[in-house]
Amino acid sequence: MREEHSEQIERWANYIRENPEKWKSKLKPFLDAQIIMARRFYSELMKTEKGRQTLLKIKEMKMGQDL
Amino acid sequence: MERGIKDRTILEEFAEDFTKIVEKHCRYIIVSGFVAIAHGRSRGTEDIDMIIEKIDEKRFEELHNDLIEHGFECMQSENPQIIYMDYLLHKTSVRYTKKGEFLPEMEIKFVKDELDDYQIKTRVKLPFTGLNVYFSSIEMNIAFKEEYLKSDKDMEDAKHLRIIYKDKLNLEEIEKIKMIKMRR
Repeated sequence: MREEHSEQIERWANYIRENPEKWKSKLKPFLDAQIIMARRFYSELMKTEKGRQTLLKIKEMKMGQDL
Repeated sequence: MERGIKDRTILEEFAEDFTKIVEKHCRYIIVSGFVAIAHGRSRGTEDIDMIIEKIDEKRFEELHNDLIEHGFECMQSENPQIIYMDYLLHKTSVRYTKKGEFLPEMEIKFVKDELDDYQIKTRVKLPFTGLNVYFSSIEMNIAFKEEYLKSDKDMEDAKHLRIIYKDKLNLEEIEKIKMIKMRR
């Protein structure tokens, strides 16, 4: 783990620990945006035949995966 | 700490909706990445990992049908017998999503060994998350991530959880779990 990255993780974890009422509202937009953008991307893929084929491949890959 | 429903992330809302149904049919735990994310880790994931106790086919069918009635669907099959016989019994996980949506996903598998059984027996709700969901213990998650999974992402998750629970961790328990993993 890079030192500056490790320090950033430590800083953020300490912030959360010390601000249990505040951290969620700061993090929620970031976490939700990942899902919203991925959904938007998948919806765009659904609009074309090539995109639908790609989605099918993704689905097949996931179906064969173990935890 | 109480949080309002509007504060829940999309992942949290999905997790609570799903686990509320599963809990009616069997014991479960949420493990791995979502444990860290529910404690504020700022990283992405599209799925939540769940281990459920091993139930017979009839009980699984009831669980599956209940999930379907509440708007979920299984990516592997619509047929609960196929899901049960061809996947879960073969220690292969299956994925559920909200009907018509690609994500988030709940990735489910049966308990596979004594350690998984132990995780289910020692499952906990974690008030810091504000979620009404059962997790495997923090000690278990840290031990798994540090001793078994070991990717950069997992080591960072473990570091994050160690800081959040700095004064509350049972360090002996973490070492005990690591020793069990090493002996297997």
